[in-house]
Amino acid sequence: MTSIATITTPARPRKLVGAGRRQWIGLLYVAPAVALVVVFFIIPLCMTAWMSLHNWPLMGVHRFIGLDNYWAILRDTRFWNALRFTGYYTVIVTIAIFAVAFPLALFIERPRPLTGFYRTSFFMPAVIGFASASLLWSWLLNVDAGLFSPAAFELGLTEKKVNLLATFQPAFWSIIAMVVWKVAGFTMIILMTGLQSIPPDLQEAAMIDGAGPFARFRAITLPLMRRTLALALILSVAGSVLAFDQFYIILRGGPRNQTLTAVYWIFNQSFVSFKLGYGAALSMVLLVILVALSLIQLRLLRQPEGVD
Amino acid sequence: MKTMIAGLAFAASIIGSLAIVGPAAAAETANIWVRADGSNFMPRIVDAFNKGHENQIKLDIIPNAEIIPKYGAAAAGGTAPDALSLDLIYTPSFAAAGQLEDITDWAKSLPYFASLSPAHVKTGTYKDRIYGLPFSADSSVLIWNKKLFKQAGLDPEKGPTNWAEIEAAAEKVNALGGDIKGFYFSGNCGGCNIFTFTPLIWASGGDILTEDGSKATLDSPQLRGAIDLYRSMVKKDLVPAGAQTDTGSNFFAAFAAGNIGISPSGAFAIGALNTQYPDIDYGVTFLPGKDGGWSSFAGGDNFVVTKGTTKVAVVKEFLDFAYSLEGQTILAKYGSLPVRGDIANEALKDLDPRYKVAAEAMAKGRTPYSVVFNDLINSANGPWNQMVNEVFFGEDVDGAISNAQETMQSIIDSAPQQ
Repeated sequence: MTSIATITTPARPRKLVGAGRRQWIGLLYVAPAVALVVVFFIIPLCMTAWMSLHNWPLMGVHRFIGLDNYWAILRDTRFWNALRFTGYYTVIVTIAIFAVAFPLALFIERPRPLTGFYRTSFFMPAVIGFASASLLWSWLLNVDAGLFSPAAFELGLTEKKVNLLATFQPAFWSIIAMVVWKVAGFTMIILMTGLQSIPPDLQEAAMIDGAGPFARFRAITLPLMRRTLALALILSVAGSVLAFDQFYIILRGGPRNQTLTAVYWIFNQSFVSFKLGYGAALSMVLLVILVALSLIQLRLLRQPEGVD
Repeated sequence: MKTMIAGLAFAASIIGSLAIVGPAAAAETANIWVRADGSNFMPRIVDAFNKGHENQIKLDIIPNAEIIPKYGAAAAGGTAPDALSLDLIYTPSFAAAGQLEDITDWAKSLPYFASLSPAHVKTGTYKDRIYGLPFSADSSVLIWNKKLFKQAGLDPEKGPTNWAEIEAAAEKVNALGGDIKGFYFSGNCGGCNIFTFTPLIWASGGDILTEDGSKATLDSPQLRGAIDLYRSMVKKDLVPAGAQTDTGSNFFAAFAAGNIGISPSGAFAIGALNTQYPDIDYGVTFLPGKDGGWSSFAGGDNFVVTKGTTKVAVVKEFLDFAYSLEGQTILAKYGSLPVRGDIANEALKDLDPRYKVAAEAMAKGRTPYSVVFNDLINSANGPWNQMVNEVFFGEDVDGAISNAQETMQSIIDSAPQQ
């Protein structure tokens, strides 16, 4: 950077005019992106914030009620329960995704026979939408017409067909399995690019110094993957905190409303109870929580001082 | 945006003036929405109307789950249809929101007003004014598989007439073994169970809500009794395991597959079975009470008019046509029961005789009245659905009932008063 600056110094007076113009051209280039962000993010966000200050039914007149919706959230135990469940789900599913994606990334990182095939097949589920994947799995998990229960029964593993979705634990872990199947491939690709950006000579040097595979992983691979890990972690956490489709389509929040996530609750308040204003207030609260979580993760995974 | 609206207004004024210059009265077109449940009969009635009338109807069919939010959004944006055929249980909450046109005077001027389906008119009435009139109708009934009854040594022509007979017949059919099961219901579906389970309670003299919907009354011996019937059948393994988590997607399909002895269902099943599963030989009877008697949930759609529409005259003309013998016959032929009691028999006379049972059930059918019906009953996460799932399959029946009673009452009490 500095060397380029010194080279350009002599030409400065003439370039100043050009730089001004170039800034305008630059603005012009980013204008479409800015317009998109403004129209599809900033304006809706402001509208949501505005709606959250109203009693805003789906039909009929809305009226300004100040912060009443937010006071109501403080007493809304079902929202906090949903949030607690969302937190629990996020922790479990993130650990599960990384526990599967990291070994897969290590496995497919180096060229070996059939690497292309493995990469493709691990990544494949990631290109399906969450809704279609949920529909597929709700069939697979169906006790009468599905795959898992009848197969286990036919193979003699269970005495009778077990309804996996009827009680909390099997239902919850079925969802975890489905999400891991769906998302791990994507996380794997991100982690793989991180692995590939580590210079091989570092690993070789460590090997010559006599470091074992575990020591190399801990002292070289992990620290050099900080940024990649941060990216994968933030994507996974944000995706899990906003989980909705799979719980809505496969479980309908059941069994007995034990798998209602925060977004599910917002959906219910807005489109089942028709309280759009309250739903907007809940969305704002969730947004604040999500931003805070992401900031904490960025801070934790920031490059330590002195490391480039 | 502004220029576009101005442009449209300009274009409209030109068209308007052309129409005035043009010959005779200008034909008007009113826009009507219907939920997907009506996609069989509604287009046919609209076609018949459009052929014989100067004024026209433009019909949009909206997916069941979408129609409420979509209508709400359209109403907020000023693009709501002139009228819509609305699931009747929503009429009170729509009327309470001030979204509907008061059609009391017109309704009462109809010569056949007194013979319109009473359940529809009751839910269409809010604070003594009428906002909705019956359009299509569906009543809940009990259906049984005659072939399986015969195989099990039961009289295939005689359906169960009380709870003990339901259970005994289900047990016999179940004993055939294999994939055959005695009884089916959707155990995780609030809408299905208000439709088919509450009539068992009503027929025995109980209820789950007071007449005006202001109190939940779940703590009754009749509800307990009906729960015990279902629990006993679940315990004896007469019900397929999938019933526990069926959110309604198998409500009709389970019986239609031919392996179920008895299932509570609706009038809609008659048309659907006849056209899609002609091989199934089935009977239709009433949903009985504990010791006989019967009741039914009167469901279907109310026809409501959006407040402030300029096409009221066209909409009324259309509804008049739908209430004619021709309209009622089209309705009956394509999957809905007639809604005019005085000509129901005439409209049904060439159709499957099993419709008669459903029509009779409709005439005496009941509909719970509540401005928060969606929250209480239909929501997959509402107190009613949570309760039915727990009491049919769970351990703590008393806890589930008292929990639901409390939650329902608190939802009723905190409903918006307008």
